[in-house]
Amino acid sequence: MKFNTRKFGEIDIPDDKIIAMPLGLPGFQGRNRFVLLERKETRPFCWYQSVDDPNLALVIMNPFLFHADYAVDIEPAIKEMEWKGDSLDKMSVYVVLTFHNEGPYRITANLIGPIIINTRKCQAVQLIIHDSPYSHQHPVMAHYKTASQPENAVGR
Amino acid sequence: MLVLTRKIGEKIKIGEEITVRILEVSKGTVRIGIEAPQDVKIYRYEIYEKILEENLKASKGAFSDIEEAASLWRQKEDKE
Repeated sequence: MKFNTRKFGEIDIPDDKIIAMPLGLPGFQGRNRFVLLERKETRPFCWYQSVDDPNLALVIMNPFLFHADYAVDIEPAIKEMEWKGDSLDKMSVYVVLTFHNEGPYRITANLIGPIIINTRKCQAVQLIIHDSPYSHQHPVMAHYKTASQPENAVGR
Repeated sequence: MLVLTRKIGEKIKIGEEITVRILEVSKGTVRIGIEAPQDVKIYRYEIYEKILEENLKASKGAFSDIEEAASLWRQKEDKE
């Protein structure tokens, strides 16, 4: 399927790579189809591009790369989406990143709204986690302090 | 907005399938029980709003930084 995107121009994605979010994505009503674009230049960050809206793209990533102890119960996703019986290794956890104006050291991740993608069904859902010990603005680059980086730019 | 008064144990019906019951009231806190079909999503308003707002913020991010951030990330990986 061919569609337009603001960031990548017109792209052509096989239909079986289009991810449906039947329950929607909060804030983006009516934009329920996405594709996951992994580019070498932006690894480990992935683009989550809307099929329905060229201007809508999020950056998501595997949370375990910066928070090895992060734990998320995906049982509610399996229940809501009726994924019972699907193999767990077809389900991937991603978190949505916010890029702040202060620069790349200020990237944060929303750990209370992970997106669970079922690659077998080509479906996804954003979980909304109540009573979570995690933050919706968890610093992603906190471990990347270098000599050239000002002290006060870390994880604020 | 519809405003109505209920006593403890009383219920409100919303449409055919949703029932809200007042379970307990104490010191400014109300405990409510909600019966609804499984496909009706029920969230505490402020948590849903927080995620919605963060999604909107994320969609307007300073994406020009993405390649720089990715390259910082890979430099770190290479050192390890």
